[in-house]
Amino acid sequence: MLIPHPILGSRDAREFIYLGDVRLLDRPDATRSDAEHSFCDYVFLRDNPAGVHRELWFHEQGDRSWLVVTRNTTTHEILGAELARDVALARKRSAQ
Amino acid sequence: MTDLNAFTALAAAQPRRAAFAALDIRETPELALASLARRRGSTKPAPFALHLPEPGRWVAGQGVAAFWVSPDQWMIEAEGRAEENFAADLKQASPDCTVTEQTDGWTVFEIVSRSGAAPIEALLSKLVNIDVANFGPGSATRTGLEDISCFVIRRSKTHVAVLGARSFAGSLWHALETAAQRVRENATSSSNP
Amino acid sequence: MSRLAGGLVDRSQTLNFTFDGKRYQGHPGDTLASALLANGVRMMGRSFKYHRPRGVLSAGSEEPNALVELRSGARQEPNTRATVAELFEGLVARSQNRWPSLGFDALAVNDLLSPFFTAGFYYKTFMWPKAFWEKLYEPAIRKAAGLGSLSMQADPDAYDKGFLHCDLLVIGGGPAGLAAALTAARSSARVILADEDFRLGGRLLAETETLEEAPATDWISALEAEFESLPNVRVMRRTTVFGVFDHGIYGAVERVSDHLAEPGDKVRQTLWRVTAKRAILAAGATERPIAFADNDRPGIMLAGAMRTYANRWAACPSKTVAVFTNNDDGHRTARDLAAKGVHVAAVIDARREAIASWGDYRVIAGGMVTGSRGRLGLTAIEVSANGRREWFECGALGVSGGWNPNVHLTSHHCGRPVWNETLQAFLPGADGPAGLFAAGAAAGHFSTAQTLRSGAEAAQRALNELAIVAALPILPQPEESGYGVAPIFHVPGKKRAWVDFQNDVTVKDIKIAHAENMRAVEHLKRYTTLGMATDQGKTANVTGLAVMAELTGKSIPETGTTIFRPPYTPVTISVLGGGDTGPHFRPRRLTPTHCWAEAQGAVFVETGQWMRAEYFPRQGETHWRQSVDRETKAVRSAVGLCDVSTLGKVDVQGADAGEFLNRLYSNVIDTLKVDRVRYGLMLREDGFAYDDGTCARLAEDHYVVTTTTANAGLVYRNMEFARQCLWPELDAQIISTTDAWAQIAVAGPKSRVLLDRIVDGFDLSNDAFPFMACAELTVCGGLRARLFRISFSGELAYELAVPARFGQALMERLMETGADLGVMPYGVEALSVLRVEKGHVGGSELNGQSTAAMLGLGKMVSQKKDAIGAVMSRREGLAGDMRRLVGLQPVERAGKVVAGSHLFTKGAPQNLDTDQGWITSACYSPHVGSMIGLGFLEKGDQRIGEVIVAANPVEGESESLRIVPAHFVDPEGARLRD
Repeated sequence: MLIPHPILGSRDAREFIYLGDVRLLDRPDATRSDAEHSFCDYVFLRDNPAGVHRELWFHEQGDRSWLVVTRNTTTHEILGAELARDVALARKRSAQ
Repeated sequence: MTDLNAFTALAAAQPRRAAFAALDIRETPELALASLARRRGSTKPAPFALHLPEPGRWVAGQGVAAFWVSPDQWMIEAEGRAEENFAADLKQASPDCTVTEQTDGWTVFEIVSRSGAAPIEALLSKLVNIDVANFGPGSATRTGLEDISCFVIRRSKTHVAVLGARSFAGSLWHALETAAQRVRENATSSSNP
Repeated sequence: MSRLAGGLVDRSQTLNFTFDGKRYQGHPGDTLASALLANGVRMMGRSFKYHRPRGVLSAGSEEPNALVELRSGARQEPNTRATVAELFEGLVARSQNRWPSLGFDALAVNDLLSPFFTAGFYYKTFMWPKAFWEKLYEPAIRKAAGLGSLSMQADPDAYDKGFLHCDLLVIGGGPAGLAAALTAARSSARVILADEDFRLGGRLLAETETLEEAPATDWISALEAEFESLPNVRVMRRTTVFGVFDHGIYGAVERVSDHLAEPGDKVRQTLWRVTAKRAILAAGATERPIAFADNDRPGIMLAGAMRTYANRWAACPSKTVAVFTNNDDGHRTARDLAAKGVHVAAVIDARREAIASWGDYRVIAGGMVTGSRGRLGLTAIEVSANGRREWFECGALGVSGGWNPNVHLTSHHCGRPVWNETLQAFLPGADGPAGLFAAGAAAGHFSTAQTLRSGAEAAQRALNELAIVAALPILPQPEESGYGVAPIFHVPGKKRAWVDFQNDVTVKDIKIAHAENMRAVEHLKRYTTLGMATDQGKTANVTGLAVMAELTGKSIPETGTTIFRPPYTPVTISVLGGGDTGPHFRPRRLTPTHCWAEAQGAVFVETGQWMRAEYFPRQGETHWRQSVDRETKAVRSAVGLCDVSTLGKVDVQGADAGEFLNRLYSNVIDTLKVDRVRYGLMLREDGFAYDDGTCARLAEDHYVVTTTTANAGLVYRNMEFARQCLWPELDAQIISTTDAWAQIAVAGPKSRVLLDRIVDGFDLSNDAFPFMACAELTVCGGLRARLFRISFSGELAYELAVPARFGQALMERLMETGADLGVMPYGVEALSVLRVEKGHVGGSELNGQSTAAMLGLGKMVSQKKDAIGAVMSRREGLAGDMRRLVGLQPVERAGKVVAGSHLFTKGAPQNLDTDQGWITSACYSPHVGSMIGLGFLEKGDQRIGEVIVAANPVEGESESLRIVPAHFVDPEGARLRD
């Protein structure tokens, strides 16, 4: 597989380690009273779709960036990739 | 200065060098290395008059050079200054940045072709999944080389540098040596090497 | 040898070879199969199940019958297709699957017992009595089973791998592929042309058709010369593109020296990973036979193959041949062989409207071959036509049931081929791999004129998608040829008619599968094993489908097809390994003192990728316990040195470095002062502990984190995740410094005295440099270093770090300087004993299934701040787990403590419900004078003093152990703080 790194261009997927669902970016607020419930969902629940999936990849043998990759899990077509940092910052801004 | 002796990454008193049909490989423990990373609010540094390169690039200056490592992070090279505290000098030159000593973190091999670009390209095509036709002078990348994470820098048409973590030196040398032995003197880019 | 005229063999040179011990001759350009045919050898093997005499069926890599054992000694290779084995001087080959000889095979008795070996017999036999399976049936089956034998010696050859990138990969160098490559070569595109054969040309090499009024080989040579002159073209012969992977990645095997007697200094084969923006599948088509009674005799082959042997190799299996066909192409064989002086007894054309004869031979329209004779080689065939039966004498029969486009690669991404009624064949479907275009015969274009045009157009289209302009070259325009295939796949009859030659599957077997309701094509395949041999049914699948379709009354497209997975043809394991073997199979990491330790005679152990000194045996020591006990005692009584460079080190800097670390460690970090180091625990977000280490603060904004050796990569990855994904707003930068610093543990009551001798005027007194202090300093006359006063052994201890290039010299200096103190190097074995004696948790306690509370580190999870895992660590499931770390000692001094044993209350039954915990670590303790262990025990902290049972049911062991506090040495930590 080839991953279209947003900065470096097309890279061999073997340079990466796969983590999983992008929702891992949304770490719950630990100060809330329902924190344990939210964390349980955060840690254990996944949609696991057969189709388009946004997921986290770590460019371990490359620039060590975390990426959010949009991939079709049935065809492996990759529809895009962004720096996870940018996605995370955007999510934080919109949550404010 | 200390009276302790330094040993190379290959655990020898002298750096390794070897000549093959079309290529020479030389270990360069005298190269100093330090990582330079921007901090929040820091201006883009220009240590030692270096214009820090864009992603995927390497630039050379006066006795120093730099290659891009990750967003807002570069590795600075200083020829022959491994015995000095180069990281301290770099920190002085870029006080509002994060500087980390890296000289002994890496084993560095310089590979030079004696007959044009083709042997270099033939060698790289055996070791790394890089499109060598688009990896001209001034290109730098980090990738897997025989399951070792390495920086690969195209210093010129006939000169490439490979940097791997120091502890991997023996395995990295073996990989480079095995591949270099198989590059024929008259290798061309379109022939089966 | 008896040769026809012409051919592409080099008659100026003669090659000697041996088959089944007999010597023969051939020429360069021959394959083993063509040379054997030229020498009148028709029988080349015995079939898999029934041991029936078999000859070569095809002239290519689809060959199911002529599988030989090539070479001898370590290079002996079974199941080599004689049709693709290039002849070389001294080649040695043997037929397979027969005993004692090819001519007389005792196991041919299987053929007589064939009614018992029909489809599905595997599922119905050898079941009773049950005991006989292990003792009798299985051993017997193992002995009889399999095809070919291995040398059982190590592969002596070198293999290689490489990476190629191009704009256009052309798969197949026949007319379509050549036209495609030519079109692309003349544009600016980077082209790779690969063909499995040792010559380019594909079917052009097998036909007598001229191109531009000259032999086709002239046109091919001109193209080869042009390709050779162009820097943007790479031609790869003897290279099979075996698989299509994601995103334009193709796998290919180049057989670099398979065709040589010995590789010499060459590698044997190279595995190429080709990244191609676009690719053309010009893989041609494979002929299929028609099944009829006794259709498997030596001498019965595919009509196209018979023609190839005659035209390309000037070889013919017999002076008298016949042809059985359902299409026009079969007639070409008769025409070409007759032109070379072979007597063609007849062309039996199954079509009522057969075409007229093209030469000096008879055409029987509407005829079928209904039988054959000649056990060790064809002698006659029975022809039924117009109600009459006639026997014809002939030594070879060319059978043409039509051609199947080689669509295999188009289905490597689960794409389904589509049935074409006119061509009576499957064509590539629309859902093939992205960027792969089929052309030529692979796309259903069967005439040479069509294939040339199709190849050029496909290349142009493909390059157009890359915005590369490619003009269509001027191509030869040979005459169009007809095909007219009729849907005749088998001849009904009572006797067995073979469909899959290699796995010995007949029409009768398909009928049995149908009768037993194994009608879906996937069931048909597995129940009968049709299509499951090394040829993957290339000459059998479609025929098998057609028979099943007939039986079910469905059409072939309704019956469906199984799809193909890589590899297209067999690929050796050696080449998939990429060439690295033995110690080089994976990289090794060596510590800065590795060579020094080797010189000391250390015994090493693999710890992940690292080699670590396990212990340092001395003269006279014969058992590792002697060495390890000695090393452990030396640390506790004097001072020991251990290379701990392998533990991960991460440099952390930035304005928010402290806050960042405070969120990663479960314990409080933001109160850590400069020049102090703290033990730290990291949890997973699910609340379980996963790594421990230290955190040292070197400056306001500068920390160094250490991790366990095994988890260095994982912790770094998690730190980057936290930094980039969870808290990108924090100002923190991290980088690994594991390799940059050599780090040596200096442990024992005399460690301070030793270090005092090498630090440059640094105050090491307990007041100036207390337990858990750290500092940047210089040693040995100015070498910059870092000193950490940390201990995991229960003794006064430090870790000293210097730039890695000085690690070895530092170790030597410490050994020299401390000689009078009794300084001793110790390895990871003693390191483990020391930490178990101290009760410090290690990898076997921190196994990802234990919580901080279980580890006795509950207080290290701060309730006052959030950190990774903090919230989940408090969940009921974990908080309610009452297992606690305890120490264990045998009641009998000489008793064993075995790691992995499970703990039970004395007297209680031993089962999953009564299981109280397990032993995580165990060792002999010189300090205690017996074996000791650490383990998790239900409410262990409340059961100190109790005697429980440690059971090892697998080995039938049981031991009474007393529960003690998990600190056998220095329980108060006094030694550490002194």
